[in-house]
Amino acid sequence: MRTTLRTTDRPRRRLITMATVLTAGSLALAGCGQADNLAENSGEEPAAEGGDCEQAELRYAWWGSDVRHQLNQEVIDAFEAENPDITITPDFTDWAGYWDKLATGVAGGDTPDILMQEERYLRDYAERGVIANLDDYDIATDAIDENILAAGQTDGALYGIPTGVNVYSVLANPAVFEQAGVPMPDDTTWSWDDFQETAIAIGQTDGLFGMQDHGYNEPGFMVFARQNGEQLYTEDGELGYQDETLVEWWEIALNLQRNGGQPSASETVEIQSLGPEQSLLGTNRGAMGAWWTNQLTAIETAAGTELELLRWPGESQGERTGMYFKPAMYISMSADTECPDAAAAFIDFMVNSETAGELLLSDRGLPANTDVRAAIADDLSPSEKKAADFIADLEDEIIDGTPVPPIGAGEVAAILDRYNNEVLFERMTPQDAAEQFRSEVEAAIG
Amino acid sequence: MSALSELGSLRKQKGQASRSPLEKNDGKYAMFFLGPWLIGLVLITAGPLLASLYLSFTDYDLLSDPEVIGVENYRAMLEDPRLLTSLRVTFTYVFVSVPLQLIAALGLALLLDRGMRGLALYRSVFYLPSLLGGSVAIAILWRQIFGTSGLVNQFLGLFGVDGPGWVSHPDYALDTLIILNVWTFGAPMIIFLAGLRQIPEMYYEAAAIDGATKLRQFWSITIPMLTPIIFFNLVLQFIGAFQSFTPAFVVSGGTGGPADSTLFYTLYLYQQGFTNLDMGYASAMAWLLLAIIAVLTALNFFLSKYWVFYND
Amino acid sequence: MTDLQDAAETFVVAPKRPADRPEPRTGRARSVVKHLVLIAVGVVMLYPLLWMLSSSIKPNDLIFREPGLIPSELDVSNYTVGWDALLHPFSHYLINSAVIVMGSVLGNLISCALAAYAFARLNFKFRTLFFAIMLMSIMLPIHVVIVPQYILFSELGWINTFLPLIVPKFLATDAFFVFLMVQFFRGIPKELDEAARLDGAGHIRIFFRIMLPLSLPALATTAIFTFIWTWNDFFSQLIFLTNPDKYTVPVALRTFVDSTGASSWGSLFAMSIVSLIPVFLVFLFGQKYLVKGIATTGIK
Repeated sequence: MRTTLRTTDRPRRRLITMATVLTAGSLALAGCGQADNLAENSGEEPAAEGGDCEQAELRYAWWGSDVRHQLNQEVIDAFEAENPDITITPDFTDWAGYWDKLATGVAGGDTPDILMQEERYLRDYAERGVIANLDDYDIATDAIDENILAAGQTDGALYGIPTGVNVYSVLANPAVFEQAGVPMPDDTTWSWDDFQETAIAIGQTDGLFGMQDHGYNEPGFMVFARQNGEQLYTEDGELGYQDETLVEWWEIALNLQRNGGQPSASETVEIQSLGPEQSLLGTNRGAMGAWWTNQLTAIETAAGTELELLRWPGESQGERTGMYFKPAMYISMSADTECPDAAAAFIDFMVNSETAGELLLSDRGLPANTDVRAAIADDLSPSEKKAADFIADLEDEIIDGTPVPPIGAGEVAAILDRYNNEVLFERMTPQDAAEQFRSEVEAAIG
Repeated sequence: MSALSELGSLRKQKGQASRSPLEKNDGKYAMFFLGPWLIGLVLITAGPLLASLYLSFTDYDLLSDPEVIGVENYRAMLEDPRLLTSLRVTFTYVFVSVPLQLIAALGLALLLDRGMRGLALYRSVFYLPSLLGGSVAIAILWRQIFGTSGLVNQFLGLFGVDGPGWVSHPDYALDTLIILNVWTFGAPMIIFLAGLRQIPEMYYEAAAIDGATKLRQFWSITIPMLTPIIFFNLVLQFIGAFQSFTPAFVVSGGTGGPADSTLFYTLYLYQQGFTNLDMGYASAMAWLLLAIIAVLTALNFFLSKYWVFYND
Repeated sequence: MTDLQDAAETFVVAPKRPADRPEPRTGRARSVVKHLVLIAVGVVMLYPLLWMLSSSIKPNDLIFREPGLIPSELDVSNYTVGWDALLHPFSHYLINSAVIVMGSVLGNLISCALAAYAFARLNFKFRTLFFAIMLMSIMLPIHVVIVPQYILFSELGWINTFLPLIVPKFLATDAFFVFLMVQFFRGIPKELDEAARLDGAGHIRIFFRIMLPLSLPALATTAIFTFIWTWNDFFSQLIFLTNPDKYTVPVALRTFVDSTGASSWGSLFAMSIVSLIPVFLVFLFGQKYLVKGIATTGIK
C-alpha cells in the first residue's frame, strides 16, 4: 500500500522540478512544490492505514450521458443521507474525454478517489499502482458470481468490482425477419452456416440487410475463438488463438458483404461510428446486430419496436460454448485517496445496497450482486427484464469468464477495427490482415 | 490631406540624429511592453515546452515515473509505418486545404468589404459554420451530407450517378475533411476583412484622382497593402492545419479511419499519448512536428521578403 | 509597391477633389448577380445548421429515422428537457463560460497588444529570437503540453478553478493574437508615430494614442476570436475543471452523448443551438467594429 503511494507520487515531483527548474523564475515554485509534496506525504501515510477522516470529501469520476449523470447524482444523494460525514463530488464526462482527463489527473497526482474502470484499462491502472487492492477494505463481495468477480482480479488482488453483468449477443428484429419472409432462427441450435444463409436471405429484400458488420469488435471474436477452444488473450497476457481462426472470422463477414447480407464497406464504417441509435437495428434497416445486453433498451427505443436476444451461432457445434459474462464496468478506488475507508463505504453502497440498485437498475448492466438483482427484478422495464431473463437462461451454458486483458489491450480495439476495414474494403486479404494484426498486437501488449 | 504632405516634409527634415535617442531607450520600454509575455513565457510556456522535450527522451505512461531511455522514441519513429501514413495524410491535407481555404476567404472578404445591402448578415452567415467549431454535431452533419445516402449522393442520383460513401471510404474520406476545412473559412475571412478595413482610404482617393482603374487600384493598393495579412493567414493557417485534430477526431470518431485514411499527425500523437498511454513517444512525435513546422515557417518568413510589403 | 508610393505622392502633389463617378448602367444587374451568388453560397453554408435546428425540434427517436429538413412532428421538449438534463440548469454552464470568456478577452486584448507593440515598433536585443520562441510556442500540439501544464497548475493549487484558463491570457500566451497584432501594427504608416515623437510623445503615448485607436479592426478581431475560441474550447476546460459546479458549455455539451450507450441527441442539438446564440450575437454586433481605422480616426 505504502509503496504504491510513493510510486504514484514521485512522477509529480520529478516532473514539476524538471518542468520548472529549467526556467528562470522557477526556483521559488519548485521549492513550494516539494514542500507541498512533503506535506502531502506526511498527511497521507496515516490515512492509508485507515486514518481519521471525520469529514471525508471524495471525488467520484465516471463516464456516460445525461441519464447516467442524473442516476449517479441520486445515488450520491442517497449515500450522503445515510453518511452525513462523507461528501461525494461528482466528476463526469463522455467516454473519450474521461480517459484523457483521468490519465492527466493521475499524472498530476490528482486521481479521483473513486473511479469507474473498464476491462481494457484495468490492468494498466492496477499494475502501475494507481488503483488500490480492494481486498484490503471492508467491501462485501460474496453475493457476486465468482466468474464475474474474477474479471476484476489480476495477480490475485481485486482492483475493480464489477458493477454489472453484460453478455455480448445477437440482437434480432422479428418484424424485419417477417418483412423479408425469413423465419427466425432457433438460437439454441443454429450454426455459423445457418447464420450466413439467414443473413443473406434477408439481404435479398430491397433496403434490408441481414446483419450489421460484427468483425470489428474483439468480444465477438472472443466468442468465436472460445468456441474453437482458443482465446484472444491467455491468463499470462499473451495471444491465444491461431491466425486461421481470425481469417475464418473475417471470411464470414466478407461472405455476408459480397452477398448482400451486410451493407457495403462504406456504409458499414458509417453506421459503426455512430452508436446504437443509428445502427441498422435502430433504424429498422437490419434484421440482426451484435450488441451488449445493456444496449437493448437504447436500440429498442430508437427502433420503436421489440427486439429479441439470441445466442451467437455455433454455440452448440463448437468445441465448447464461447459466450461469457462480462462486467459492464468496474468501480475502483484510488491508491492514494486520503480516506480509503470512506471510499470503500461508498463502493460497498454502490455494489451491495438495494437503494443504489433500485436507482441504477441496469444502467451499468444488470447488478453483479445477485441479491440486488433479485430485489430489483420487479422494477425493471420490459426490455431490461428481457435481458435479465436471457442472462438467467445462460447461467448453465456459460463455462467461464475471460482473463483480464494484458497491459496495452486498450489499443487492440482500434487495431482490430482498422484491419477489419482493410479486409472489408478488400485492400488486404484476411490472411495478410491476420498476420499484421498479430504482429501489431504483440508489439502493443509486449 | 494637408497632414500627409506635412508628414512627408517632416520626414525629410528629420535626420537620423533625431531618431536615435528614442531608440536608445527601446530596450527599457521593451521590458514594459514585453513584461507580461516574458512572465508568461517563463512561468507558463517554457516549463511545459521543456518538460515535453525531456519526456520525449523517456518512457512515460502517465501512470508511473518517466524513465529515461535516450533517443529510443526517435529511433522507433523511423520504423513506424503509421507515422509515415500520418505524415502523408497531414501533408496532403495541409497543402491542399490551406490554399483553397485562403482563396475562398479572400474572395468572400473582397466581395463583402465594400458597402452593400445586408452586408452584416452575409458575413455572419458565412461565419456561422466556423462557430460550430469541433462540435460533436459536426460528425452527424457530415454524414448527412457525404454519407452513402447523403445529400451529395442524392444530388448525384438525379444524374444517374451512384456515388460512393464519401465520408467513410478510404479513398475519399480525407477529401471530405478538406472540404470541411474550406467550409470553415470564417476566421481568415474576418482577418482579411479587418486588414482591408485598415488600408488608409487616402491611398484609394489619391489613386482615383490619378485616374487609376478599380482593377489597377486592386493590384497596386489592395493587394500590396494586404500582403502582411495574407502572410499572417498563410503562416498561421499552415501551423494550424499541421496541428489539425478536431475535424478528424470528430468525423472519424477518434480512430483516423477508415483504414487510417484520415489519420492526422496530431490524431496519431493523441492516440499514442492518451489511448496507448505512451506519452514519451507522443512527446517525441510532437518535437518532430515542431521541427517540420518550424522549418516550413522559417521558409515562409524567408520568402516573405520577396512579396510582403510593410509600411515601415 | 512603387505604384503605391506613386499613388500617394500624386495625391500629395495634386490635391483635387475626386469627381463623383456616375454608377455604370450595368451596376444594378451586377449587384443582383452578386447577391444571387452570395445567397447561393449562404445556403450551402447554412444547410448543416438548418439541419441541426430542425433536428433540435424533432422528437429524439425521429432524428435519425427521418433525415429531412422539415420535421413531421414538432417537439420543443428537447429544449426544456435539455436545459435541466444535467446536474445544473444549463444557464449555470452558460454563466461559467461567460466568466472565462470575459476574462480571456480582456487578458488577450491587453497583453497581446502590449507584446505586439514591442515586436512591431521597438528595437531591442533578442527581438528575432523572442519572436521565434513565441511562434514556437504555438507549434507544439496541446496534447503533449497539457500534462506538464496540469502538473504546474496543480502545484499552484489552481485545478478546478478558472485561473488556468484565464491567467495565461493576461500573460500573452496566445501567440496567434500577438502575431496578428504585429502584422496590423506594421501596417500603420510609421509617419504617424514619427510625427508624434516629434511632438514629444514617448512609446507609451504612441501606443495608447496612435496604435490602439488605429488598430480597432485588429482589436475587434482579437476580441471576437478570443470569445468564440474560448467559448468552444473543449479540451483544456475538460482537463482543468473537475467539479460540475465549474463545468462550462462545451464540457456540458459533451456529456449528452455516450458512444457506448444511450445518447440524448435531441438535447445535444437543442443545447448546441442555445450555446450558439451568444457567439452568433457577439459576432453579429462585434463585426461592426471592423471599421475603417484610419479613415475615421486618423488624419483628417
